[in-house]
Amino acid sequence: MKRMIWTSLGTLLALSCWGAAPAIAQTASCPIKIGAILPLTGSMGPVGKHIAESAQLAIDTINQGGGIKGCQVQFILRDDQGQPTVGVDAAKYLVEVERVAALSGSVSSGVTLPILTAVAVPSGVPLVSCCSTAATFTTMAAEGRTNGFFFRTLPTLKTQAYATAKVTAERGYKRIAIIYLNTDFGTGMVKDFTKATEKLGGKVVKAVAYNENQPSYRAEVNAAMAEKPDALFLVAFPQDGATMTREWISLGGTQNLVLNNALRSLDYIKLVGAKYLQSAFGMDNASVAGPTVDAFKVAFQKAYNTSPDGPGIYNQYDAIMAIGLAIALAPDLSGKSIRDAMRKFQTEGGTIVGTGPDAFREAIALIKAGKPIRYVGATGPLTFDANGDVSGPALIWTVKGEALAIDRQISLDDMAALFKSID
Amino acid sequence: MIGQAIADGVLTGAIIALGALGVSLCLQILRFANFAQAELLTFGAYAALTFTGFATAGVSIGPLSFGWQLLVAVALAGIATGAVAVAVDRLVFAHLRRRQAHDLTMVFASFGLALILRNLVLLLWGPDAHYYSQELQIAIEVLPGVRLMPDQVFVLGLALVLVLTLHVFLRFSRLGRAMRAMAESPALARICGIGTEAMVRWAWVASGALAAAAGVFAGLTVQIRPEMGANLLLPILTAAILGGTGSLFGAVVGGLVVGLAENLSALVIPTSYISTVPFILLLLVLWVRPQGLFAPAGGR
Repeated sequence: MKRMIWTSLGTLLALSCWGAAPAIAQTASCPIKIGAILPLTGSMGPVGKHIAESAQLAIDTINQGGGIKGCQVQFILRDDQGQPTVGVDAAKYLVEVERVAALSGSVSSGVTLPILTAVAVPSGVPLVSCCSTAATFTTMAAEGRTNGFFFRTLPTLKTQAYATAKVTAERGYKRIAIIYLNTDFGTGMVKDFTKATEKLGGKVVKAVAYNENQPSYRAEVNAAMAEKPDALFLVAFPQDGATMTREWISLGGTQNLVLNNALRSLDYIKLVGAKYLQSAFGMDNASVAGPTVDAFKVAFQKAYNTSPDGPGIYNQYDAIMAIGLAIALAPDLSGKSIRDAMRKFQTEGGTIVGTGPDAFREAIALIKAGKPIRYVGATGPLTFDANGDVSGPALIWTVKGEALAIDRQISLDDMAALFKSID
Repeated sequence: MIGQAIADGVLTGAIIALGALGVSLCLQILRFANFAQAELLTFGAYAALTFTGFATAGVSIGPLSFGWQLLVAVALAGIATGAVAVAVDRLVFAHLRRRQAHDLTMVFASFGLALILRNLVLLLWGPDAHYYSQELQIAIEVLPGVRLMPDQVFVLGLALVLVLTLHVFLRFSRLGRAMRAMAESPALARICGIGTEAMVRWAWVASGALAAAAGVFAGLTVQIRPEMGANLLLPILTAAILGGTGSLFGAVVGGLVVGLAENLSALVIPTSYISTVPFILLLLVLWVRPQGLFAPAGGR
């Protein structure tokens, strides 16, 4: 079996060398190569497989839409098995042997990070991830350690933190205490929430970290309560969160609770008791709607005979489309030019370009004519900020009676305005 | 703020003390540190949950969140957990004793047993968190800045009663004196006609019952979940060692010291480091006074 794989790999390699040589002779760089590193096997395999299908659909869209710069696009996919070492090897192969113009991947932040630092940044190749949420990437970008080569197509923690801060301010809570999980996720949330709250006129009077799996959280709860805050922002997971909420309310803490998205679960509400949560609210990422999103849904359903409603599928499509549009917009195929072109398809007031081959053909025509375009993809309007992050719409949830309810949505435009007023 | 921390420290300490008493008893009679004690605590809490489930919540007594059913459940859970402890001894430790196993072998066996018991609880009751009563109690301000829940006061009182009962039992009852004799010198005790196996059995029953009480109290004031015992293991062992291996009075004091240290430290260090406090205490004790605070001079 192993031998068979090696033989076929060798053959494939020989074939691609043989095929590539005349191509170089024809035009400068056809076909244009886009590489992807995704977990196709391992524990993430079931998720990664569909994400890879979505990437392939985006490549088909581009090719059926006439390709880029007169070239067809060749998609080279490698498996990272969910392991950083395998992922880095694959990325090295794609960049050094295949000489891809841009990379997409991976799912787990733990894999994406070494690919970014060991391959993408040193070789100057843009990396667009569909699914890695870690706050580390934003920090690194802000410190200039990514050289701007990192992009991602799903909303980060900042969306959650800012939206929460906005509604907290709207409700008139001025002095806020936070109890948060002592991880990257928790500390990141506190940092962004504090920044936003202070901009919006409130004050974080106390931020108390907690570690999971402790016999009691009374000390943490008391520390937060000592400041007598207007509201408590709880960043926790349901079971520990319920313990702390109960102790908080028992000890006479305010029932003005602000909750994170992990607590949007009926388990948590049942454990605490719904009647104590009637004045609480929480935030979560919302899904987008619109014609370009529906068009993608239909196309995916048709191509693979399965629903695209799974993690990362919408986001991966946009990751590849972003790469495609950036290559089309870039003056040449160098990583630097592609990186700099990444924000040129998000022009406000530009002609809206959607999903599907026809839309892509139209986009290429507009680019050739020098007209500004605005890409609205499978995740809605795609707008990379200075750190390569995107924002997304948010929803505010509350507890009505015994059930979860959606209070309202914060649209992408409102989020964009909010980001602008805070950053 | 400091008043509240002291009050909370004493309450947490009482629960830790009950767990530490079981460990201490085990150390005296069986002469090894029982890592499975914390899992017996979890088992006790869940056993009581099952009994209250049969009897329904019941009318609560006065300001308390539970009715007489829970008191019955504590007693029944104590018996059930004691029975489990004896069964475990029969299945595991008795065999090891017969083969003159090394003390460390016993410790490791108890460690393995802890894993089995924890997963058994998971299997029987599932991974979800529970409460004895869904009703939330609102704390009463007893002193300026010190809020207590009626349940907590009740738990503290009952823990005190249990400790005193154990003390009286060991001091004055025939069985208790035999157990103490056995702890002093197994060889001499045997010569005096004290049945070793019987004493061992009673030691298990007592530590199982104490564990169940600690488990129910922890469940009543915090939350019932499969990891609750494992999360208490470090504070309990620290309390037992701090008090002096094999000193029952020391175990109670040790429990209170650990509980107070955890809660008071929140005033001076960042809360994310609280979980290291029992560990630091343990290191300090082992370094300064390895025999513990109340161990008989010279040790064993």
